Amino acid sequence: MSDLSRRDFLKLGLTAAAAALVPKALMGQESEKVAGPAIGVARGDNAKLVKAALGEIGGMGAFVSAGDRVCIKPNISFAANVECGATTSAGVVKQTVEECLAAGAAKVIILDHTIADSTLCVEKSGIEEAIVDPKKVSLLTLTQERQFGEVSIPGGTELATVKVAKAVQGADKLISLPTAKSHSATGVSLGIKNLMGLVWDRGALHRKNLHRAIADLALVIKADLTLVDATRALTTGGPGGPGKTVQLNTVVAGTDVVATDSYAVGLTPWYDKAFTGRSVRYIVAAHELGLGEIDTAKMDVREVKV
Amino acid sequence: MASSRFKPYRAVRWAIQLAFLALFVVLFGLTRYGVEPGLQNLFFRIDPLVLLVTSIAGRALVGAALVSLVLVGLTLVFGRFFCGFVCPLGTTIDLADAAIGRRRRSAPVSLPGLKYAVLVFLVVAAVLRFSFLGFADPLVIMERSLALVWRPVAGYLFGWAGNLPAAGQTETLGAALVFVAILALGFLARRFWCRNLCPLGALLALLSKVSLFRFRLAGECRQCGVCSRVCPTGAIDDARRTLDAGECIECLACQYECPDRSVRYRAGFTRTRFDLGRRQALAAVGSAVVLAPLARAAVYRKLQARLVRPPGAIPEPDFMNACLRCGMCMKACPTGCLQPTVFEAGVAGLWTPRAVARLGGCEKNCNTCGQVCPTGAIRKLGLEEKTYARMGTAVVDRARCIAWEQDKHCLICDEICPYDAIAAVPDPEGRGTALRPEVDERICIGCGLCESRCPVDGPAAIQVFSINEERVRTGSYITEEKRSLRGCGQSKPEEIPSGFILEE
Repeated sequence: MSDLSRRDFLKLGLTAAAAALVPKALMGQESEKVAGPAIGVARGDNAKLVKAALGEIGGMGAFVSAGDRVCIKPNISFAANVECGATTSAGVVKQTVEECLAAGAAKVIILDHTIADSTLCVEKSGIEEAIVDPKKVSLLTLTQERQFGEVSIPGGTELATVKVAKAVQGADKLISLPTAKSHSATGVSLGIKNLMGLVWDRGALHRKNLHRAIADLALVIKADLTLVDATRALTTGGPGGPGKTVQLNTVVAGTDVVATDSYAVGLTPWYDKAFTGRSVRYIVAAHELGLGEIDTAKMDVREVKV
Repeated sequence: MASSRFKPYRAVRWAIQLAFLALFVVLFGLTRYGVEPGLQNLFFRIDPLVLLVTSIAGRALVGAALVSLVLVGLTLVFGRFFCGFVCPLGTTIDLADAAIGRRRRSAPVSLPGLKYAVLVFLVVAAVLRFSFLGFADPLVIMERSLALVWRPVAGYLFGWAGNLPAAGQTETLGAALVFVAILALGFLARRFWCRNLCPLGALLALLSKVSLFRFRLAGECRQCGVCSRVCPTGAIDDARRTLDAGECIECLACQYECPDRSVRYRAGFTRTRFDLGRRQALAAVGSAVVLAPLARAAVYRKLQARLVRPPGAIPEPDFMNACLRCGMCMKACPTGCLQPTVFEAGVAGLWTPRAVARLGGCEKNCNTCGQVCPTGAIRKLGLEEKTYARMGTAVVDRARCIAWEQDKHCLICDEICPYDAIAAVPDPEGRGTALRPEVDERICIGCGLCESRCPVDGPAAIQVFSINEERVRTGSYITEEKRSLRGCGQSKPEEIPSGFILEE
């Protein structure tokens, strides 16, 4: 656990005091200690969610060290207006960047291989808002094959090799920052699916068994941290929209990408139907590859309101 | 030959010429998505040939080009200064001529009447309702060379990102050949194109013949012949001691090189010959009478269902007339969707823009092509209006689609479609688990984003055809029905994606 600032300490104290006043039944099974992966869930003020969610699992300082080169992979794949819910909100990306810098990151690279035209995606997503310090923070749109380098996937069930963004291969840390959205082929698009934006030939995955191919990616592209932006979820019409959106005002943080994804599936109904991580083929495939926990009951879920 | 000593008048003229050439290139560079459309097509708006030929051929006034009347007025007062100082192709030719230098043929090839024949051909063909302007206007040739040749070449050399028209294809090669040929004509005579072929030069020459101010041989003269030797356009007749105001591009060479300072720029009329011979005139009229109907016939024949025009393109025959083939729309297109047509629209349709969705779809948030089009061949549509202007319809080739044929959970087409025009449906015969893509042709506008992203190798398994394209000169593409079919959550209930494991 990293150092607590005084403000955090006070906040924790207040939260604890509030918790003490609320009957146990309303608080869920919070007090039960679980050995599984820790998941930080923050709800409330969208401007504070990243720090709060991270605070539950040790703060950004637990993942990013001084002098690190950090890659942040939001999903800005579509040239859709932010309200559409198809892209990670710029505010959440900005908070993440700020946390990285506060933790001492030397360089932060925000990158994506967009599906729609990259110029338009950058413009519509408003992502440039996240470049808070042009000296340390840069935006990299992956548009050419030479920006990718081939890596082999030992143990891959569908893919033997994949071309991964060189920037990620050369970075100290990778933070995956998906937006919670529905997906016409995979059901939902979350952290593991977000990794597809770091490979060159996405079509190759579709020509295979898509779900197992996506899980294969998580074997070689290891996000040190996954932050699911569920401030707004696109629950139908994904991944590009238009579709129904719901305001969830939530961010889910974790180091186990299977666990964060599985937990995030349960945040809201998709296509007007309730699902769990167990009902999403690519999450199941990733779990079966031994990449993480799929049962929410076995996770150490720490929730906080801000 | 004039000596290569530093001459102030030449420095001044080069400075002005290069400044206009630079302006032309800068405006070309600003012709892109994200830059507020405004003066990018300035040079076409001041081109009186665009106003004349395009308006006649299309039977509709090209309003944007009315500005060119200013150039007409200025030429009537000052003469053919445009060719000597402003024209970017003229400047490029001067640069090439300087490079050719002494390797040029000693006796210049002079066929001044030919350019009038070209002009007559263009005007007569326009009266017969076909515009060949795109093949002859110097500004168009310059712009197209930048768009289809030099930018792609520079892009490959310097590795610029983005979508470039693929250099080396037929149409690019064609544009390069025209450009290189025009410069190579400099081996036969300086400013060969300007003095013998250019129809804009011809039009301005006609005006200059009656211009108020003009250069003339006026003062004392020892008949040394320097003036006619330095003249790049053969405007000076030594024997008769005359200077043809129509041929003169006002380059100032004779005035400053004359040892007697006897060339003067004065108001007043001088007699000039009209060089268009009867045979040339007849040949021009005759070929226009034959070629214009042929070209028109070709545009009516729609053999090519895959010939998809840009969003908001006016009806095909009007489009063929209005389109200058300047390449501005293709330069501006951010996705590489707009590409030059080769012969799909007939020989006369060469270099007109077409949407090649396999290379890039038409982005929902972009309407730049219509904003920069100088003649309204592509209508200036607002962003929302553009998203309703149907270019065609996407058709799924079930035999090649890996969802239909191989039960793959693909649906990239559905994923990318910004209008929700593709439904994911279970196989009607109950085969497999993967949902199949199906196009709702009431919603599809043929943007081709699906075709651009289809993961099937080679030609896509979903392709846009010009089926149901909407081509109108005026009015809105938006209808209540279209609007009601679109919009968040208003379409039919979606199937649960096959990425979910459903417990029965």
